[in-house]
Amino acid sequence: MENSPKPYMNPYLAGVFLGSVLLASFLVLGAGLGASSGLARIAAALELSIAKTHTLSSEYFGKWGETPLNYYLVFMFVGTVLGGLFSALAAKRISFQLEKGKAASRLLRISFALIGGIIIGYASRLAQGCTSGQALTGGALLLTGSLVFLICLFAGGYLAAYFVRRQWND
Amino acid sequence: MIDTLYSLNILDTSLALLISLVLGILFGVALEKAGFGSSRRLSGIFYFKDMAVLKVMFTALITAMLGLLYAQALGLISVESVYLMPTIYGAQIIGGLLFGIGFVMSGWCPGTAAVGLASGKWDALICILGAILGSILFNETFHFIQPLYTNGNQGILFLSDSLHLSKGVTAFLFTIIGIAAFWGVEKIEQKVTGKSEYLGSQFLKIFSFVLFSAALGLMLIYGQTTRKALVYPFFKNTQTACLFSEQALLQKVEEAQDHIAAEELAERLLNNNQEVLLVDVRPENEYANFHIKGAVNIRLSDLSEQLIGYKNQGIIVLYSNGMTHPAQARDSLNRQGFNNVYILTDGLLGFVDLCLKPVALRSEPVPDGLAQKINLWRGYFLGQAKGQKGVEEVRNFAHKAPGLIDTQWLSENYKKPDMKILDLRSQNEYNTSHIPGSLAISPESFRGVVKGVPSVLLPAAILSQTISLMGIKPNDFVVLVYGEKPHDATLVSMVFERLGHENYGILNGGFLKWQSEGRLVDTELPKVIDSSYRLNYADNFTVYYKTVLQAIKDKDAIILDVRPQDYYLGQKSDEARAGHIPGAINRPYTEDIRKADKYSLFKTVDELTTAYKSIIPTNASKIIVHCRTGHQASQTFFILKNLLGYTNVYWYDGGWTEWSARKELPIK
Repeated sequence: MENSPKPYMNPYLAGVFLGSVLLASFLVLGAGLGASSGLARIAAALELSIAKTHTLSSEYFGKWGETPLNYYLVFMFVGTVLGGLFSALAAKRISFQLEKGKAASRLLRISFALIGGIIIGYASRLAQGCTSGQALTGGALLLTGSLVFLICLFAGGYLAAYFVRRQWND
Repeated sequence: MIDTLYSLNILDTSLALLISLVLGILFGVALEKAGFGSSRRLSGIFYFKDMAVLKVMFTALITAMLGLLYAQALGLISVESVYLMPTIYGAQIIGGLLFGIGFVMSGWCPGTAAVGLASGKWDALICILGAILGSILFNETFHFIQPLYTNGNQGILFLSDSLHLSKGVTAFLFTIIGIAAFWGVEKIEQKVTGKSEYLGSQFLKIFSFVLFSAALGLMLIYGQTTRKALVYPFFKNTQTACLFSEQALLQKVEEAQDHIAAEELAERLLNNNQEVLLVDVRPENEYANFHIKGAVNIRLSDLSEQLIGYKNQGIIVLYSNGMTHPAQARDSLNRQGFNNVYILTDGLLGFVDLCLKPVALRSEPVPDGLAQKINLWRGYFLGQAKGQKGVEEVRNFAHKAPGLIDTQWLSENYKKPDMKILDLRSQNEYNTSHIPGSLAISPESFRGVVKGVPSVLLPAAILSQTISLMGIKPNDFVVLVYGEKPHDATLVSMVFERLGHENYGILNGGFLKWQSEGRLVDTELPKVIDSSYRLNYADNFTVYYKTVLQAIKDKDAIILDVRPQDYYLGQKSDEARAGHIPGAINRPYTEDIRKADKYSLFKTVDELTTAYKSIIPTNASKIIVHCRTGHQASQTFFILKNLLGYTNVYWYDGGWTEWSARKELPIK
């Protein structure tokens, strides 16, 4: 990546683009966008490969049966990675790195990323969706619960931001 | 009207998966282009350094929201064909707070982490692995977290309903807040980082103006909270070109194209016009007192559920005493994609005045032609309550119908021309021996998947076709003959209930009793001349899960779960979840049947009366019966309504199959 990366898109126009994709999803699929469900399905497939009977008899993953990956949001997640790849390649924005503040240790950033990941994995199952499936999709449908989720998401983020700010210290 | 893959229930086909992949790719491109492949940029919002997340997200949200509402206004799509998530306050508040903490810690959310991964960010990979672990952890702790998972479940709840505003106003306010937020965060960026790319820029001004205008237009279309019922619906049939033309709109109102005149309705009903479904939306007692002949009574709140099978088929005419309620209901139905709903000009009072008032009592002279018509109408609408000629003749040889009939009576009457005997046993049983003249029909031919719910009774339009193919006419007396299971006959009785065909009976003891008494059988196929059974809709007894949910909340109905006890207790289950509807009483359907040595009989009315007296306080108590698929519950319904004379019995056909599969519904 010798050439410098292209600048990001105007955020408002990017929003219109994203909103149009969401609208297309409503009109064609009859369902909005989602990401965490895809991950949860992958998790179920993983757990199935390790402990099949246990997973099939478990209350949450069990109802997805033996082929949890045969689900539209799994394909959407794969598509999201691919789309990200195409776009990042085109804009020369691929760089292998651990993103963190210069002054923060690698261990700190890795632990935060892992623990944060576990929390969002758990929380998105609890709330039946994440930023995509609840906040964005449900928000666009003006569903009360999804908007409550969106507000709480920012509340939680701002409350915790102070305590994890060190990872971005330069 | 677009049929989405979700509404067609084909989200699991390879086509749907391929489309999802493509949409995913576009989703990924959008996120990446917005710069969401960087955790540093994403978490910038929490430190007021980079507010891109808010700008992108709210713009996307508003774009899709306005787009979808416009699509609905244009009649492109109905909101029912989009998957809607339930509002569950507990889960969404705690889930949201936790999610926010995880978001600021990891710097990612699932969708952006996918893009981060594609951009080579190691922390995105770690976050994704964490999220997978978190999902597994959720599965493993589901048992403990389940109370929270369903805590505060409100079902599908729109912000407009929470705020008691119309959808248009809600969307408009939301857009205004969004625009204010854009300007606010640009200011914040300027303060914190010293520069703002868009604050006060030409771009942001134009952008804000476009959003504002789009939301304003939408609000005008959807009308104010005061429900200008007459204004909106005409957009349905008009094209985009005149969408914004107030004048064209008002003209339509002026021309009253959504009205049907009393005289026209009277003529159509008199001529047995099959296309008209007349719906009385007044309270039950007023309906019971007097209604226009042929009308069915549906509560305003149940309209959209009950009428779904008539969406854009034939015409639906709503009436009340006046016109306000029907106009509001029509407005609401229109928003749900119905474009065949009309209201009766001047309501019931107008109808009575114009069509039924005796000529002699009128202050103005009436032309001869009209006078004749008025007399015809009076004869038709004010004559017999049930009115169909021939019914009386059939009743001469019939028992009280609907009801049970015995084998002796049938053996004396089975050859009568107006008698139609339906044999509900299996094909080979029928082929080897049946009551002379009986027709073979499987109870399953009346059921199917409706709106994704399996094994529910088909819409009246389809039922009347099947009935026509069997040559049954509205005046025929129908005898239902079961094999071993009396509830096969009661399931088919629901077909006739739905069509308002009350002239039927169930052979008590079924074919096996007939056979064991050595009565005449043969193997010949009957001659059938197909009829054109009038499409009639008398179903005000089938309820849907929302009604049941409401009944639980209001505690105004007895819910009878007639499944076997072990299913009720959740010890056995063939469905998505085990257990029962909170507050439901278990009265297994098998309790109502007595086994003789070779056949099954309904218990005597005395026995049944005693049994149900201990469960149901009065004959007018509201009762909702259900089982797994509606089959067993049809038997309890038949007994309560037709044998014991309970007047307020409802049938939740979707039953446990649907209830257990709708995870947002409470169970015990």
